[in-house]
Amino acid sequence: MKARRVSKLDPQAPLADMAERIVRVRLDELYSFVPRALAPTEHGAQHDMRIAAKRLRYVLEVTAPCFGSYAATAAKRARQLQDILGEVHDCDVLLPEVQAHIVRLRARDAATVRARAGDAGDLDPALTTRAPHRAAYRGLEVLCVHLQARRQLLFERFVERWASLQRAGLRRRLEQALAERAASPQAAQLAGTR
Amino acid sequence: MASARDITDLDGREPFGAAAARVVAIRAQEVWDHSHDVQDTGDIERVHDMRVATRRLRAMLEVFAPCFPAKAHRDVLRDVKDLADALGRRRDLDVQIDLLRSYGEQAASADRRGVESLVEHFREVQAAGNADLAQALDEVKRRDLRARLTALVEAAA
Repeated sequence: MKARRVSKLDPQAPLADMAERIVRVRLDELYSFVPRALAPTEHGAQHDMRIAAKRLRYVLEVTAPCFGSYAATAAKRARQLQDILGEVHDCDVLLPEVQAHIVRLRARDAATVRARAGDAGDLDPALTTRAPHRAAYRGLEVLCVHLQARRQLLFERFVERWASLQRAGLRRRLEQALAERAASPQAAQLAGTR
Repeated sequence: MASARDITDLDGREPFGAAAARVVAIRAQEVWDHSHDVQDTGDIERVHDMRVATRRLRAMLEVFAPCFPAKAHRDVLRDVKDLADALGRRRDLDVQIDLLRSYGEQAASADRRGVESLVEHFREVQAAGNADLAQALDEVKRRDLRARLTALVEAAA
């Protein structure tokens, strides 16, 4: 997913002002996938939302000290979203791999069984019972069940997590924090020694 | 997993370009710090650490893009992205193998043969991923990415 462009970034302008512009765009980007990503079948939107959470997290991890304290908390929340959507994505990637492996083994077994039949008029079922990978299919099918169920469970956790972040006011609190300017590190250090 | 270094002394009032130079220099150094023995499949955390460091560097190059000379930045970003992709392909297989092994340990014995056969398949693909990674690391050296990153940092506006 291509990141939204952030306009009017000036290398000579204060870091906090530029970082604020970037974070606001990244925050909008994250929210642009809702409500689509909250539908279980919208795998693409969930994947894109994970990337958006990652982008928001990385910019906040570096620039949070420029803002109010909630900016650092928001970086952690973005990471939690990224992590859970990452686990959902792992299931989405692995499930088709397992299915493709079943197809691959089946093709190899069929070719072997056919070769063993030689010039017979029809295929003897006894040959099939000795297919080289016959012991693998059950485990692979059960693995598909596991991945499908795990995906459902993790997706439900993601939806709950998102709802909880909304109740906690993620967007509002981050926008408030962005409007604040933290004291410089030197000033903060001086204040700490007094 | 190795965490990124906190950059605690950033001052919101300093110029965006000056911050860009400091942040990218630190994130680039983290990539080189984690670049040893990443092709060792016996310790999958090595490739993970370098991948994460490369991803963070890429993110910072994107965040601070306007602070760098456009062409040099574009070329460096492309090379960092290629490196991140090669690391990612290897890492994805490491994760899948790890996931299957821990699942297999708890699976019924009648179900293990299937899981093992998929692990064997992923091991073969992992070897190919490692060859891709070796090529990407050679390319980093050949194109002197480290020196170009240093030059990019020095040229930050």
